[in-house]
Amino acid sequence: MLKRIITLAGTLGLCLSLATPAQAGPKEDLARFQHFYLKRFPGVPLKEFANGVYAIDKVSRENWEAIEEFPPYEPYVEEGKEMWNTPFKDGKGYKDCFPDGPAIKADYPRWDAASKRVLTLELAINECRQAHGEKPLKYKKGPIAILTAYIAWESRGKPTHVVIPDDPDARAAYERGKRFWLARRGQLNFSCATCHAQNAGKHIRADILSPALGHTTHFPVYRSKWGELGTLHRRFTGCNKQVRAKPFKPQSEQYRDLEYFLTYMSNGIPLNGPGARK
Amino acid sequence: MNQESPKMKTLSLFRAAGLALVLTGLANGPALAGDSAQAQYEDMYQQAKAAQKRAASVEGEWRDIGKFLKKAQALAKKGDYEAAFKLARKAYIQGKLGYTQALSQQKVDWPSYFK
Ligand code: HEC
Repeated sequence: MLKRIITLAGTLGLCLSLATPAQAGPKEDLARFQHFYLKRFPGVPLKEFANGVYAIDKVSRENWEAIEEFPPYEPYVEEGKEMWNTPFKDGKGYKDCFPDGPAIKADYPRWDAASKRVLTLELAINECRQAHGEKPLKYKKGPIAILTAYIAWESRGKPTHVVIPDDPDARAAYERGKRFWLARRGQLNFSCATCHAQNAGKHIRADILSPALGHTTHFPVYRSKWGELGTLHRRFTGCNKQVRAKPFKPQSEQYRDLEYFLTYMSNGIPLNGPGARK
Repeated sequence: MNQESPKMKTLSLFRAAGLALVLTGLANGPALAGDSAQAQYEDMYQQAKAAQKRAASVEGEWRDIGKFLKKAQALAKKGDYEAAFKLARKAYIQGKLGYTQALSQQKVDWPSYFK
């Protein structure tokens, strides 16, 4: 009897501790998030989630492995390297803005305290270009995806390690990104979580829904459907439209905050971009 | 969505009609019933634009509202105010729904399957 009471008290205590998320911060969110997927897909190690749907579906994985033997993104990596090494009109180059480059993918997205915003790699690239009198690049595809494909390639193997500093503004950006991911939107009334968590692994039309864990490791991505490379924010746009919500602009605050949250959720998973997907 | 009883619906309909009468009385404008299809469309279009803006202000705009309004304008230009009105009303309703949806999601937290 006593034992029972103790177990009961223990269970109650557990329930209470689960039910008080008031103190929960990014760290607790991260544990909760990764735990969900590791439990949903037992036997799939954390790092393997970098491979999207191919981590959880054998049949699609075989096709993908065949594709990866002659990776469709390879020519772009070469082209991106040329871009990286081509000086601007003023004689300077990307290396002057990014002295640690080109393997800098893991440094983004990050909180930029000076400008009080989430700084993404794409935004940093365009600010570098503009500082040197060059035109900014468009954010969804084309040159920016080609340049970041090279940067991603050079950054392969580095672990995702987004930092949410102890700064109320940074924390607010993180929370906005989290809410964006959890909020239902559009005429279909789906959240990102509805498809990529609750229904991860299930079929939707001709696709299998990928787990959101690992969603950010392999961008930019070569999609057969696109027939070219695209950025992460291009993908966000597509997923918003699918539920008949009006998408936001690539590199808008909304999408940068979302990227901040979503990338943080994959902390610990090594980068493996550029990727190839259906 | 709130379920209204038929009785309540009739009541609010009366109230709306009463309000409309009062408003037209105040504005001293033409009676609503006598308004041309064009005027009714234009009024609905303005309301839809406002609803769209309001939804966007809370990041809740739906994908097709803009498209509906563009199509509505094209139809109105051709003089098909009835079809234009229907589309504008659809945009208006979606604007309202998107706004309500976004408000309902402002405090979302981890859903139960994450617990
Ligand atoms: C209606 C379901 C649905 C919703 C809601 C949805 N997506 Fe997707 N998403 C898909 C499908 C289908 C794919 C392609 C198959 C796959 O990889 O899951 C996809 C792919 C992706 C990918 C690429 C995965 C990869 O491995 O390359 C990312 C990233 C992504 N979605 C992010 C999001 C985000 C962020 C949201 C919320 C803004 C979201 N999705 C909402 C259906 C959805």
